Formats: sequence, C-alpha cells, structure tokens
Amino acid sequence: MDLTHPMDKFEVADVLAMATADRHRILVVGGRTHADKGNPSDVDAELWTTQLDGLVSYEPAEMIAVAEAGMRVGELDRILAEGGQEWPSDAPPEATVGGVIAAAANSPRRLKVGPVRDTVIEMEVVTGDGRLVKSGARTVKSVTGYDVHKLMTGSLGTLGVIVQVALKVRPRPPARRTVRIPGGLESALRVLEAVPNPAAVLATPQVVELRLEGWPEEVDGQTEAARRVAGTLDVADDGPFPVARPWEERPVVAEAAVAPSRLRELLGPPLDRWGALVGVGLAWIGLGSPEGSPDGELDRLRARAGVLGGIAPVIRGAGGLGDDSPPGLDVHRRLKAAFDPAGVLAPGRFWGGI
Amino acid sequence: MADVDGARRSLEDALGPTEVLSDPLALILYARDASMVEGGCALVVFPHSLEDIVACMRIAHDHGLPVVPRGSGTGLAGGSTPIGDALVVVTAKMNRILEIRPEDRLAWVEPGVLNLDLTNALVPKGFTYAPDPSSEQTCSIGGNVNTNAGGPHCLAYGVTSNHVLAVDIVLADGDLVRFGSEAPETTGYDLRGIVVGSEGTLGIVARACVRITPLPPAVRTMLLDFETVEDCAATVSAIIASGVVPAAVEMMDHGIIVAAESFAHAGYPTDAAAILIAEVDGVPAAVEAQARAVEDAARKNNVRSIRVAMDDAERALLWKGRKSAFGAVAQIAPHYHLHDCVVPRSKLVEVLAGVYDIAKRHELIVTNVFHAGDGNLHPLLSFDRRVPGTLERVLAASEEIVRLCVDAGGSLTGEHGIGLEKRDFMPLVFSEVDLAAQACVRAAFDPEGMMNPHKVLPAGARCGDFAVARGTDAAEAAANLPEGSWI
Repeated sequence: MDLTHPMDKFEVADVLAMATADRHRILVVGGRTHADKGNPSDVDAELWTTQLDGLVSYEPAEMIAVAEAGMRVGELDRILAEGGQEWPSDAPPEATVGGVIAAAANSPRRLKVGPVRDTVIEMEVVTGDGRLVKSGARTVKSVTGYDVHKLMTGSLGTLGVIVQVALKVRPRPPARRTVRIPGGLESALRVLEAVPNPAAVLATPQVVELRLEGWPEEVDGQTEAARRVAGTLDVADDGPFPVARPWEERPVVAEAAVAPSRLRELLGPPLDRWGALVGVGLAWIGLGSPEGSPDGELDRLRARAGVLGGIAPVIRGAGGLGDDSPPGLDVHRRLKAAFDPAGVLAPGRFWGGI
Repeated sequence: MADVDGARRSLEDALGPTEVLSDPLALILYARDASMVEGGCALVVFPHSLEDIVACMRIAHDHGLPVVPRGSGTGLAGGSTPIGDALVVVTAKMNRILEIRPEDRLAWVEPGVLNLDLTNALVPKGFTYAPDPSSEQTCSIGGNVNTNAGGPHCLAYGVTSNHVLAVDIVLADGDLVRFGSEAPETTGYDLRGIVVGSEGTLGIVARACVRITPLPPAVRTMLLDFETVEDCAATVSAIIASGVVPAAVEMMDHGIIVAAESFAHAGYPTDAAAILIAEVDGVPAAVEAQARAVEDAARKNNVRSIRVAMDDAERALLWKGRKSAFGAVAQIAPHYHLHDCVVPRSKLVEVLAGVYDIAKRHELIVTNVFHAGDGNLHPLLSFDRRVPGTLERVLAASEEIVRLCVDAGGSLTGEHGIGLEKRDFMPLVFSEVDLAAQACVRAAFDPEGMMNPHKVLPAGARCGDFAVARGTDAAEAAANLPEGSWI
C-alpha cells in the first residue's frame, strides 16, 4: 500500500489530480479513530491528513475557530480552552477534526450540543479530481448558496478530502458533573422527564449516567431534580463522561439510530452490553463474544433497527454500514460523479455501494 | 417549448379548475414576492396534498414548464419571483399540522403551516419551534426550510437547519423522496442539509419533520438603553466574551426606536441612540447567572437604564416593538428595502458607521434593527419610489452596503437568501470553481434545470463535469431577467 502525507491543501490537490489521472484509489486517513466506519473498500494508497494541522484563526469573541482538517481534537481543545470555549465533539484526543466531521461522529452530549454537522459553518475540500472548493462563510449564520460542507459531513471521505474548516464553538461550561443512578432504560426515561436541560442521559443495562453542565447553581438545581426521582445517587464533579462503557467490552460496536421513543423496542434481550442516549435515539451496542465475531447478531440487530425505521452501522470492528441503499440513489450517484469523477475516493465505502 | 395550454388543462383535470389560475389579472398577484423584483408567470396552482404536488410536478415536467415553489410569498430576495413561462406552485393551502410527538421531540407539518401557528400549537404541550423570523405570523414552514430562516432566538438555538430532521420532497421529475429521518442518523449523504436553504431550486418540500424544543422553565427579557451606538455594540461583544450565549440579543438604532415606539407603544426610550433587547432562559438559577452577566457587560459599557420585563404581558410588549419594526417604518416613507448580511460581531460598530455614511451620501433614510448577537445586520432603506431617481440611489446604496459587509469578512445573507436579488454578487464570495461545484449539487437533484431557474447561482455558473444539457440556455436566462434583479 502506498502512502502520501501532504504538507498542505495544495499538495492534497496535486495528489488527487494525479490519482484521478492514474485511476489510483485513495483512502483518506486522519487519526484512524473512526476508520472502522464504512463498508470495505479496496484502495491503492492512503492519504494522511495529519500534516495539515495548523490553526488558521481563532477569535473567542466571534465563537468561531478555523483550523486545518488534520489538527488533532486534543490540540484544538487545548487552544479553545485558553479562550474559555470548546468544540463539543468529545472524540478521542488523537482523532483529527476532519476525521470527526467526515465520520459525522456523535458526541455523547448530543442532546445538548447537537450533531457535529451543526457546528461546521465553512469548509474547504479537495474533490476527487483535485479541485479546491470552498463553501459556507465564517459567520454564525449564512444562507449563501448550496452548503457543500453539509454534503461532506458524514461522507466518509468518498466525495472529497476535507482540508480546512470553520467551526462554531461554544462557551466551556463552568461546572460539569456526572450523576450515576441505579437502574436501566426505564430509570433513564424518568430522569430525562424530571431534569431540565441535561447534557446527556445515558442508559446502560445496570446504571444511568446523567451528565450535567452549566452554571454551578444550575447544576446543583438539576442534581436536586434528579434526586427526587432517583432515590440514591452518586455524584462526581468534572471527570470523564461516560464512566461506564459496557459496549466496549465486545469486539464489535454498532451505533444504532432510531426515533427516541423506539429505543425500548430496540434494546430488548439478548443485547446486554449497550449504552443508549435517551431523548436522542442513539445506542452503542456491543456485539460478539469477548473473543469472537458477532455472527448473526449484527444482522438481527439491523433487521430490528430497520423495522423501527432506523439503522445500525458498525463504528468499531468489522461489519460495515450494511446493505441499505439511501433514498434518492440517483442523486447520490450524480453527486459522486461530480465530486469524484474517476471514482478514486474509497470506492464502495459509503451507503449504496458508493 | 413550454405547452402552457396543455399544462393548464392537465392541472385543471388533476386538481380541479378552482385550484388553477391562468387569468392575466390573477397572475399579476403572483408575479413577485416581498422583494422589489417583479417577474411574471404562466400559471398558478394550489395543491392540497402531497399527491397534488406530485401531479403538478409531473404535469410541469411533461409540458416543459419551469416550476417556482411559493409559500406565503414573504421572501425578501426574489426567491419565489417567477420568470417567463413558469408554473407557480403555492403551498399555502397545505396548512395542516400532521402530527406532534413530544416523546420523539418532533412534529410533522405540511409546508404551508405558518410558523407562529406551529408554535401556538406546541406551547400548550410545553414545547416550542425555535426559529422565529420576524414574519412568523405570515411566513410558512416550507418557506422557512427553503431559506434556512433565522430569527432572534437563533442565537442560542440555531437556524432552521438545526431544527429540520427530515423532508419529504418532490423532485422535478415527480419523484417523491424522504431525506433525513426521525432517527438522529440515517443512510446516505446529508441531502436534508442541502435542501434546507436551497431556495426552492431542488424540488418542492411537501412535508417537513421538525424538531420541537421544550419550553425553558424560566425566561427573562431586558431592555438596555445606550447613549451611543458604540456602547451598545460593545455590550454585545462583552456579553459573548463573558461566556454567556443569551437566547436573543437584538439591537435597534434611534430611527427604528422612534418608529417602533409610535406604533407599538412598548415604552422604548425614544431619546436613546440604541437599545438592546436581551433575553436569557433556562432553569431559574441559570437565568439569574446569565442576567447578571448581561447587566455587568452593559454597566461596563455605560448603559443608561436596564428595564426587566416583570411579566409575560410586558415581555410580549417589548418583543412587539421589535417584531413589528418593519411595519412601523411605513411612517417614514411608503417603500423600503431591507438588507440582510452578516459580519463578525467585532466589526458591528465599524460596519454600522459605514452604513450610515453610505445612506448619507445617497441622501437616503436608513434605520437598523437586527440580530446583533449573530452579527446579522438588517439595514433598512426607506424611500418613495415615485420620486424620480430615488430607486437608482437605493440600488447604488444597496450594492455599496453588500460590498462593505463582504469586505468586513461577512456573508452575503444570513437568513433571507440569495434569490434573484443577490445572485450576481455570489462571485464576491465564491470562486468560479466553488460556484461550479454548487451548480453540480443543483444539477444532481434537477439535471434538466427546471426548478426555480435563474435563482441563487449567477448565469455563468455551470457544473462543468456533467454532460447533461440544461433546460435553459444561459443567454436566454440573462435576457429574461427582470429589471432590478442585480440588486
């Protein structure tokens, strides 16, 4: 396997123009933390984005940070912390900003902070044939033309290489707290009902983790609200979230997405290693025995998610996205043909064989 | 060539003769939206259902008519101003709220549902629909989706795109497709995100699934008044710098304060140079903390007085003045041209000074009421277009304002859209390659170029890599453009 490690976006453009001319297939790689997401794709080379790691501009008063896409999430977080702000991806520190966006990786705090796509306001991307395309604007609001950056977010590197992004960032909460409550999904739903504006309510089979953030008085008030429905609870200020990650005890992790009220139907037996974001409708589900592959478990989970109107792509281990074809497959194919005319960007990695 | 008569007969058969307009006098009513650009159309049709929209699109496709979607017609950029032999599809009669599901925090609505009607239906259930454009009483959700509409509360809650989970859209060939999902993730590229803000150029949104937001337990609305515009704008930056993102921070300058006060009688201080309406919400403790930060920021910047709304009635009154400001300016002059551009917050003072200077040089009255927290300016030029030479001065001033905002690092439009009015300014912010990529996105949805042609992208922008013949020739398009569309 060949490797290319460009210095800047212009080198990325040169590499891709050549790749298109030579029909040389490329897998874009950032921090490799989300690389398992996507269907298997045969490629000839990897393109590493990690030398595109500069900060372009950051003005805390604008709540906008502009960074090259290969910057590590941990490095961005350190920079933003100095301005009292954060980009709420909650991805591992070695992940790259561009990788998190290309994978549309979800923060466990999505209930409060929203999906990653809502934070990307401007993007520069290099198309499969080496054209440098910009979309969006460095302002918190803009409806100027078609949001090509929306297309790229979650595209798994099949339409272009994200080289630079402007991100809408938010104030770093002055207080953060994780409250652990005994119980499973039903307890979590009661907590969600009782506590105003939590950052996350994560249900696992044995314990509920309620993440609170905001002003100290606010967090105290929310804790009291939780106490009224929970009885016993265990409180830890600051610290990591989530503490318990039972899904990671299995070799394969699927990220199921269903309408929030359908989680109960999704998470029945025999599933026993999972964490579900109630109010959001996302669940991380561990599959397989500690040593072995999940066999038919994944197919059964996907069938169940499908009946509930959802999906269950694998985000760690083998299993890919599944066989579902996206609605508007013709539109998808025309987009792929326009942005990657020679089909050199991770062919077959995306939904619908794209 | 478009077969208008054939299309009319087919539409009358499909939807009934009362739902199709072809009389020239009736068509004039649909020749423009709330912008200054006037166009014309061949037919107007009023679908009542998703199936009706599919029928309209198939008939238009078979008879070669371009299609212009229209909601309430409140758009300010000419996005639903039709041109040539267009079929205008008005979704105003599709105004049913189909489903409200608090347990999934979503609602399904038809495109003609008015923004405020949705909010009013949600409030008794403890929810709201967060995007709240000033035209909320009359603008439709379908139009909001297509312009990625904003509103005062988008500062904390985000623009329409953040609140649209899925759309059922009918494409130009009559295909009905769902983009997005009730689930937080779905298959495929984020075509939902492309449709939001696409100004009716990709298809007709026949249903939308929107996110509903729990009402905050507590709200505090404050009126802060200042002797200088600079102090007022500096307060906005100081609030954000303190780590607080209020639910809304709206700024009004002296001219608009006077006009709004004599209309709404909200008790605005008519001797102030500028006021802020700031709103914070959340749990009571958070409201206290945020309100304190807002007041501190204002005091550091020489606020003259701080008025806190004591109850819901007073709060509604403070907002009434703000939200009715565009109507109130009718007292100044019979016509107005409302701008929409976004600049970095730190450039607000400098850009406002530039706007006043431009208006002065062109002998025009300018007032400002805008989403200061977002840096989203709305300079409003008041004039009487019957006075010879006035319109030319308005157009010249408008172009200068756009260039001023772009030079300050801003965007052409924050929430009104590009439409016809600003399409020829797109090269100010995008390269030819950027615009060609955007043309490719459009062509992927509508290869024949029949959806709302001539809007958003300038005439030269083409998807070079598509070997698909476009429905309309660029030269013909340019020749057909109505006067004033370069604004």
